[in-house]
Amino acid sequence: MPKPRTTRSLLATSLFIGLFSSASAGPLQDVDLTKAPVGPNGNPAVSASEITLSPDEIAQLKTQNYKAALVWHASGDWVNAVTAGAKSKFEELGIEVVATTDAQFDSARQASDVENVLALTPDIILTLVVDPVSGAATFQPAIDKGTKLVLLSNPISGYQANDQYTGIVTDDMYGMGSAAAEMMSDALGGKGSIGFIYHDADYFITNNRDNAFRSAIKEKHSGLEIVAEKGFTEEGQTFELTSAMVLQNPDISGIYVAWDVAAEGVIGALRAQGRQDIKVITHDLGQNNALDMIKGGSMYGTIADRPFEIGQAMASLGAYGLLGKESPAFSVVGFDKVVKENIAKTWEKSLHRPLPAKLEEALN
Amino acid sequence: MTSLTNAIDGQLPFLRRIFRRIFQREYFVYYALIAVVLFFSAVLADTAFFSLANFMNIIRQTTPITLMAIGMTFALAVGHIDLSVGSVVALSALVCALVLDITYWPIAVAAGLAVGILTGLVNSILTEWLRVSSLLVTLGTMGIVAGLARVLTNLESIPITNDTFTTIFGSGSFASISVMFVWTAIALIIGWIALSKTRFGAHLLAVGGNPSAARAFGINVIKVRMTAMIIAGTTASIAGLLYAGRLHGARYSLGEADLLTVIAAVAIGGTSLFGGRASVTGAVVGSWLMGIINNGLILWGFSTNEQIIARGLILIVAVAIGVKEDRK
Amino acid sequence: MTPRFHVPDTALEIREVHKSFGGVHALRGVNFSITQGEVVGLLGDNGAGKSTLVRCISGVHPADQGQILIKGKEVNIHSPHDARSHGIETVFQDLAVIPNFDVVRNLFLNREILSSNPLLRLLGWLDHKEMKKQSEIALRRLNSRIPSIDEEIRNLSGGQRQAVSIARAVNWGADLVIMDEPTAALGVEQSAQVNKLIKLISSQGVSVLLISHNIQHVMEVCNRAVVLRHGRIAANVAIEEITPDDLVGLITGAKQAA
Repeated sequence: MPKPRTTRSLLATSLFIGLFSSASAGPLQDVDLTKAPVGPNGNPAVSASEITLSPDEIAQLKTQNYKAALVWHASGDWVNAVTAGAKSKFEELGIEVVATTDAQFDSARQASDVENVLALTPDIILTLVVDPVSGAATFQPAIDKGTKLVLLSNPISGYQANDQYTGIVTDDMYGMGSAAAEMMSDALGGKGSIGFIYHDADYFITNNRDNAFRSAIKEKHSGLEIVAEKGFTEEGQTFELTSAMVLQNPDISGIYVAWDVAAEGVIGALRAQGRQDIKVITHDLGQNNALDMIKGGSMYGTIADRPFEIGQAMASLGAYGLLGKESPAFSVVGFDKVVKENIAKTWEKSLHRPLPAKLEEALN
Repeated sequence: MTSLTNAIDGQLPFLRRIFRRIFQREYFVYYALIAVVLFFSAVLADTAFFSLANFMNIIRQTTPITLMAIGMTFALAVGHIDLSVGSVVALSALVCALVLDITYWPIAVAAGLAVGILTGLVNSILTEWLRVSSLLVTLGTMGIVAGLARVLTNLESIPITNDTFTTIFGSGSFASISVMFVWTAIALIIGWIALSKTRFGAHLLAVGGNPSAARAFGINVIKVRMTAMIIAGTTASIAGLLYAGRLHGARYSLGEADLLTVIAAVAIGGTSLFGGRASVTGAVVGSWLMGIINNGLILWGFSTNEQIIARGLILIVAVAIGVKEDRK
Repeated sequence: MTPRFHVPDTALEIREVHKSFGGVHALRGVNFSITQGEVVGLLGDNGAGKSTLVRCISGVHPADQGQILIKGKEVNIHSPHDARSHGIETVFQDLAVIPNFDVVRNLFLNREILSSNPLLRLLGWLDHKEMKKQSEIALRRLNSRIPSIDEEIRNLSGGQRQAVSIARAVNWGADLVIMDEPTAALGVEQSAQVNKLIKLISSQGVSVLLISHNIQHVMEVCNRAVVLRHGRIAANVAIEEITPDDLVGLITGAKQAA
């Protein structure tokens, strides 16, 4: 999941306002969990496991010496895992990855990245578009050249699947939010007061996950009650938020926080307050919190998506485009509920890397 | 005497003198603190705002900012500014965390501090050598250091498992008093003595007040300015270690959003942004004021966006008061 | 003022001083001397070499050639610090004070009195009380009308600032005080005060080298006038032997020294 990065993310996320009015209208909305989130043009979500290529198709691709470019919005662990997934799939298909770029959440930078990359005449571009509005102009030169575009999470306004782009691949955001609620219920034995620390900015993925958690608690877990809600825009702010929240609501026994890096401040604050009895649930994987979890600290568990699989699915969708195959417009990949007991397995499954030595050590 | 000299010849009307004394800029931060506490106590009467636990909380979580503010006071005292403090926080924490993995904690601490000392040294050498404003030089080093912090670990966070380190730097407590208070107290005392009680402090302020006069009086202006910049870098390093100790880990994004808070805290505390006038106690109280405003806004239910706006407003108010005072 | 046990007649003597900046030969062999307690006015048109000469004496720009003798002994002056250690203090027109320091801190800047406690002394701990006491003595000696020694310099008038600068110079046992246009920025009343101060310190045995454009001012306070023209001494005359008009003539070159 792309992690918004503090101030720069403020700029980027502010651009998203109003774009997902049908799918999500920002933080603190109730969502209907019985329906999976639909794509930007009402396309139903399809499991990414349905994206497959036959041996004949692969053989056909291998003869063409196709090239691909990865035009990312940012960099970091998560993006690295997507890149690794895409590269492994491309290698299987005999497609060469000629460039990887990082726009650092700057849409203007992404536009120049596209221009630069086009000089290498890629046949496929995989991207997470920073600004869905200006993205239409940014990627037009690529479309004009017949480049197949595959999108991660964010749609581009005015673009249609199987027309300007082949398809969108994203996390199962509602599923993740609901799973976080289930995990909270497990952690607290089905009963207790919860603090809810959400991402207070219009950002498709985090909003959907936060809202799904909130709705799932209300609808499916009657023993749990959200007694305090605090929003943040900067990851660094969660320390102060948590200190204030716990002081004001000492009866809280669990805290949900939007994603891993933001959870570090929550855990630090609970430690400083001597409130390690409070269980923390979040999304995504990170070493610091994983270590706290292994050592039996506040961190109870996290819902980890599978960026490696996202990368693989995107690469396959690119191949669909080259083969002229009809693509699913909106595909979602699965997730895992990560707790102390299964961290070693799930870490590898999610990030396709072995568990870091420090965590390995702490486990033994 | 003529009218020109009369006004300043000790014949100010009694009331005006009293007025001037009460509304001195140095006291402004205390009035602001009292006003803000009273305001939030009234507005947030039904919350835990006005409680010892909350105030302890605020001082504890503000400690890294407090330390950076003290360091920034020294930089501003000589007429410089250090914009690189935020990125020094991140790089120091990361370097320390990485070294902690391979050797004893005192060496890791020294390595972390070396980041700030070196950055301060580079900042001041470039400033003196290129004769450009420290604003521009540190804007550059801010980017370089932040970039290094990102490259160093490829944006990954580094967990810290050394209990001695985390106890000393932020997580420990003495008789239920957080070690953060000890850090604040030590930094306040050393900073206050150095700036207000020693020859070194007098020279710092002289250099900031009128560098050519200070040079004419035989003060080694370059050396004084370099020392001030190194102090600013060093306190930023300590702040980085405190963040790392508090969070049991280091990450490239630590300190990213702190620069504006630090400058606002120092400015509201009575330190001139143009050199020559500086107050360490003001900076410390200023940092607490920023912490209280943050805390109050959170308890009130405002988001971080409003807190960023509040910080900007405070900076402008503080600078406006300061500039008015300096023009007198 | 420290009592002077050995009082030679000549406070400062300049012999054949030359100074060039690139191709510009600013001083071309300057000779003159100042006796103890004497107030000498240094006059000359812009570019005549006044500032250069003063900078050679005060160590800002060391001379290329020639000798500087203090109390009859030749000295090497390569830096302002050298000059100061030989009892030469310079009072600059406007860079002489730290505006946001009070009078005491200005008087003692870079000559601070440290605490008598050896441990605190090591830390550079200031003895503010003692400095305040000494400041009061120093200012009293100059009959100065400073409202309060705790006042910041920027709240003082130009004349009072000059008084602080002069007090600073004299307080450090200067034998020769160089003043660069001390009254240029001052009104009539305050100029008169500074003049009084100059006379006072000269009566206490301090020599003064006064750079001025103001003929009237020189006529009022100086014992002697040295006129520079094109890097050379054009005249060196006792004030009582010359009229203001003649002095102007010497400066402009309309009149030659007898």
